[in-house]
Amino acid sequence: MDATVTQVPNRPDQRAEALVNSYERAGYARIAPAILQPAEPFLDLSGEDIRKRMYLTTAPDGAEYCLRPDLTIPVSRDYLASPAAGQIAGYCYLGPVFRYRSDAPAEFLQTGIESFGRPDKAAADAEMLSLALEATAHYGLPSPDIRIGDVALFSALVAGLDLAPAWKRRLIKDFNRKSNLAQDLDRLTLGNANARPEYQGVLAALAGSDPKGAQALVTDLLSIAGINAVGGRTVGEIAERFLEQATLGASAKLPRNVRALIERFLTIEGDPDEAMAELRALANGTGATLSDAIDVFESRTGFLAARGIDLKRVRFSTAFGRGFDYYTGFVFELTDPARTGDPLVAGGRYDGLFTRLGSAEPIPAVGLAAWIERLAIYGGAA
Amino acid sequence: MSTLVIAVPAKGRLQENAENFFARAGLTLVKPRGQRDYRGTVAGLDGVEVAYISAAEITSQLAAGAVHLGVTGEDLVREMIPDADGKVVLIEGLGFGFANVVVAVPQAWIDVRTMADIDDVGTDFRRHHGRKMRVATKYVNLTRRFFSGHGIVDYRIVESSGATEGAPAAGTSELIVDITTTGATLAANGLKVIEDGVILRSQANLVAARNADWGAGEREIAKVILDRIAAQARARSFREVRARFASCDARLVEAAKEKFSVTTPFGGPTSSGMLTLHCPPDQVYALTGFLRDNGAEAVAVAELGYVFSRDNPLFEKLDAGLA
Repeated sequence: MDATVTQVPNRPDQRAEALVNSYERAGYARIAPAILQPAEPFLDLSGEDIRKRMYLTTAPDGAEYCLRPDLTIPVSRDYLASPAAGQIAGYCYLGPVFRYRSDAPAEFLQTGIESFGRPDKAAADAEMLSLALEATAHYGLPSPDIRIGDVALFSALVAGLDLAPAWKRRLIKDFNRKSNLAQDLDRLTLGNANARPEYQGVLAALAGSDPKGAQALVTDLLSIAGINAVGGRTVGEIAERFLEQATLGASAKLPRNVRALIERFLTIEGDPDEAMAELRALANGTGATLSDAIDVFESRTGFLAARGIDLKRVRFSTAFGRGFDYYTGFVFELTDPARTGDPLVAGGRYDGLFTRLGSAEPIPAVGLAAWIERLAIYGGAA
Repeated sequence: MSTLVIAVPAKGRLQENAENFFARAGLTLVKPRGQRDYRGTVAGLDGVEVAYISAAEITSQLAAGAVHLGVTGEDLVREMIPDADGKVVLIEGLGFGFANVVVAVPQAWIDVRTMADIDDVGTDFRRHHGRKMRVATKYVNLTRRFFSGHGIVDYRIVESSGATEGAPAAGTSELIVDITTTGATLAANGLKVIEDGVILRSQANLVAARNADWGAGEREIAKVILDRIAAQARARSFREVRARFASCDARLVEAAKEKFSVTTPFGGPTSSGMLTLHCPPDQVYALTGFLRDNGAEAVAVAELGYVFSRDNPLFEKLDAGLA
């Protein structure tokens, strides 16, 4: 009676096999990570929200496992555990992933590519989009809609703003989850919405004082109250953030021109050349610290053109992101112009993943994933 | 023959409260084979089976449609049933089993008062400690939905099956999501409730299963039961005030309606000057004064057993929910 397990319409078909074979010929080693994976990395990297879509099980020793909900993390973990870790390596895969979906089978096929360790990031980004286009072409859709973005541009913009670190963290997070950005901008512009009425006097008194002395005072007060580390946070941490709040409440008022800058930045879209011109104009006119990120963007655009991708068909938007905070740069999605909705192929750069998985050094990484069931509806011959 | 199955908590105060609730509506639950029996009936009402099971089990039986009606907490309904509104109908809050599901943090967190603070602390915590802050709870789904609604991503849930309020002190979590009635247990454990951290104000509810086998027979019995419950609830919310006047006009009745929110269930004064009003309990004394000031010779006030009316709002709610 459970519709999600009645059929498995995704045994690797010949077209999918042919596609992966082409990836292998392009130099990506085929890899088949374990289907049963420790749950921790997925919950840690994707957030608790993914739990409702995961198939979880508990081992007799209490450890939590899951049926892999994607393949990027399993491939990355296998690479990190291998002797190749830290070196240039490329992998491809074809296999089932498992996610609860109310209207479709929970088990479905994905194919994809992960490219690790390449220092020539702009070229690697362009290659990934080119391989993604080969996938849709392979299935008979040579001209999908191409949406691209670059998370690094927003990070660079925010890094250059004169804002408290807490607010910068917050803006980056808001951008990644696309939800509260407008609301937070309102709060910042109006100022003081974050003020704490009953501590107002104390905070005002502390705001102008020597930060070290103020922190020592708050730490002492907490100690006098008999409060030590409670709930995993140290007294010092609590004191530090308490005083940070004082700064936020007292002085964090986002100047209107900075807000206008962020908003203008987020409206930039168009083909990559148009967008780049607008970004340059924005950076020159306002002193926004974007030039390094724009250089990477420009270099990538050059590689895309060199790979024969018609830039007029590529739609760039500064507001486009992938929703996970380990994506750090280029992101893209291919969709069917005749249909609305879910991407056929999607990917991007996630240089932030390996340190989160325990690597001491960051390792550049870029990849793509394709939904076989969505591509399979196209009739094109392999 | 069709049988309507009502699931009632099998233990403790919830069972007592549920039985009292049904008894007040004239539905006496009986266990023909003795106290230890887990199957019962309703005295004088054929076609009803009472199943005594645990509140958590009641919730899953309702979701599966294995019972028709059940008494369980809204907290369990929202936690245990994905798409709860598609699976069950909450017919009526029963006025007991009150509990709030709340987010609570150590009192020492003087920098934290709102969910927005928790969001920021989560990000900060990961930066300082290289891991995510942990939330101990048995309400995994409620917590996840609530945190997600506040855009919080940097946290991990630690499942806790009991004594959750002790988790931060024991070092197994940074904060908790738990139920509280007065907040006393939280305070005793050095915890405070976040200002906008009330996830759900819960109480025991009479709940109907959409997926149960609702034949004409079951509906008919449910209609009788819900009619009695509604009549009793209506009766409890009014006192009957009867007065006799030498002369009484419509204007006086209108004024009473306006001032004291009374109703006239049986129409205006009779030819002999008798007027019957239904009045909210807290208005009774003011009303009796008003009536005497306006010429009433005697005023009698009585509690009501049942007030039946033509409509049956609880059944209508069930009927609409099953459609």
